[in-house]
Amino acid sequence: MTVMRDTVVKSLAKVTVQGDENGLIPEYEVLVNLLPVALLNSFAERIMAAAPPERKAEVEAGLVRAAYECGYHTGCGIITSESFNEAVMPMVTEGAKDILRGAYAAFTAWGWAKAGIVQLKEGERMVIRAFDYYEADSGGEGLRAYMFRGLSQAFFDLAYADPYPDGMDTYVCQQTKGLEVGDPYGEFIVTKK
Amino acid sequence: MSDQFKQILSLEQKDGGLKGDLSSTNIADLLQFLSSSSKKGVIKVVRHPDKEQGQVYFDGGELVSATSGKLTGLTGFADLLGWQEGSFRFFPGVDAQNRTVGLSVQHAILEAMVSMDHGAGNVREQTAAVMEERGKDMEQAVRGATEVMNDLLEVPGIDAVVIVGRDGFVIDSTGSSLRVNIDVLGASLAHAVNGIEEMGSELSIDHFQDLFIEYGRSVIMCKPVGDAIAAVVTPDASKLGIIRHKTKKLFLELGQSF
Repeated sequence: MTVMRDTVVKSLAKVTVQGDENGLIPEYEVLVNLLPVALLNSFAERIMAAAPPERKAEVEAGLVRAAYECGYHTGCGIITSESFNEAVMPMVTEGAKDILRGAYAAFTAWGWAKAGIVQLKEGERMVIRAFDYYEADSGGEGLRAYMFRGLSQAFFDLAYADPYPDGMDTYVCQQTKGLEVGDPYGEFIVTKK
Repeated sequence: MSDQFKQILSLEQKDGGLKGDLSSTNIADLLQFLSSSSKKGVIKVVRHPDKEQGQVYFDGGELVSATSGKLTGLTGFADLLGWQEGSFRFFPGVDAQNRTVGLSVQHAILEAMVSMDHGAGNVREQTAAVMEERGKDMEQAVRGATEVMNDLLEVPGIDAVVIVGRDGFVIDSTGSSLRVNIDVLGASLAHAVNGIEEMGSELSIDHFQDLFIEYGRSVIMCKPVGDAIAAVVTPDASKLGIIRHKTKKLFLELGQSF
């Protein structure tokens, strides 16, 4: 047995991701903002367009960093939640690898990205393929799935790096293909920094 | 296939017999064609350049006997299937003098493929070696998975190819599978393979290597490729033997990508 994606999606899709009176998703105790994806994409596009050429890499790193911070804390909330414990943990037989499978199934369940693991060398490298993600239809130039890069890096840190806070930034995620540039899917590779 | 063979064989018939070259076909294809169109006979093969000889007798769709040099029976037949260069000649109406195989042609091809797998040192060991190599540098895959999948789709009889993660995530697909709900197919395959692997584990009979699911004349063939599962769909079960033969290397190659 390993984590079955469809089972996880069916279970987690029932969880409400609306914020409570404090703006938190009760299940994960993380802040939720129900804003359109277009807002993030538009912000990213404009800030990148406004950056001078010599600072574009820095701005891009900032966008990925923002996603990383979000992904690290939300990811931690997800994999330690009761619903994850009930839906995913009984199927975990391959440790961190299965937890990552479950995490990407959770991504899909909430419509954040339709993505999954293609290759995984434990603690060293992971290749992910995504058929839909925030920036898939965004404006701008080049590969620009900042959100997905940050989230994937965060998930790998949570799975294989030291516990918070020492384990943060152990890994880095690069994008090699993107729907936004006409590729048939987005491809992301996480490796040690 | 039949048009191809009719062309090959009719050209050679002018020379007084059915003969040809292994560069234009292979023994599995040839045997399937001849056994479906002739009642019985023997295919005699000479391998180039070492002039090793082999022969295959069939009768009424049954592979009666086979030899390849000193090898006989299914082992000899499996060896013959690996011959790449040489010439063949078909003699119709000839009876075998002994019976060393005694399986239907399709079944014999399938069994020979399994025998070849084991003879070559076990597919799993080969895959493990490939995985180890991959571990050294996973980025240096020889060809991309999409390219290998397209080659699979070129194999006669294969209608669709799907690569599914162990969790049921559909990594890639090509061919007519695009007509169906691919996510449902991926989930179903992953559930089936997980169940089968659990059964193998309970029975302590090694890991799953092949899975064939028959639906009337259609067959879905599944194989592990790296950490994923490859499934090919064929609408014609009679081509399964040749499909296994022609896809073996491609599956191993595909395993390097997952």
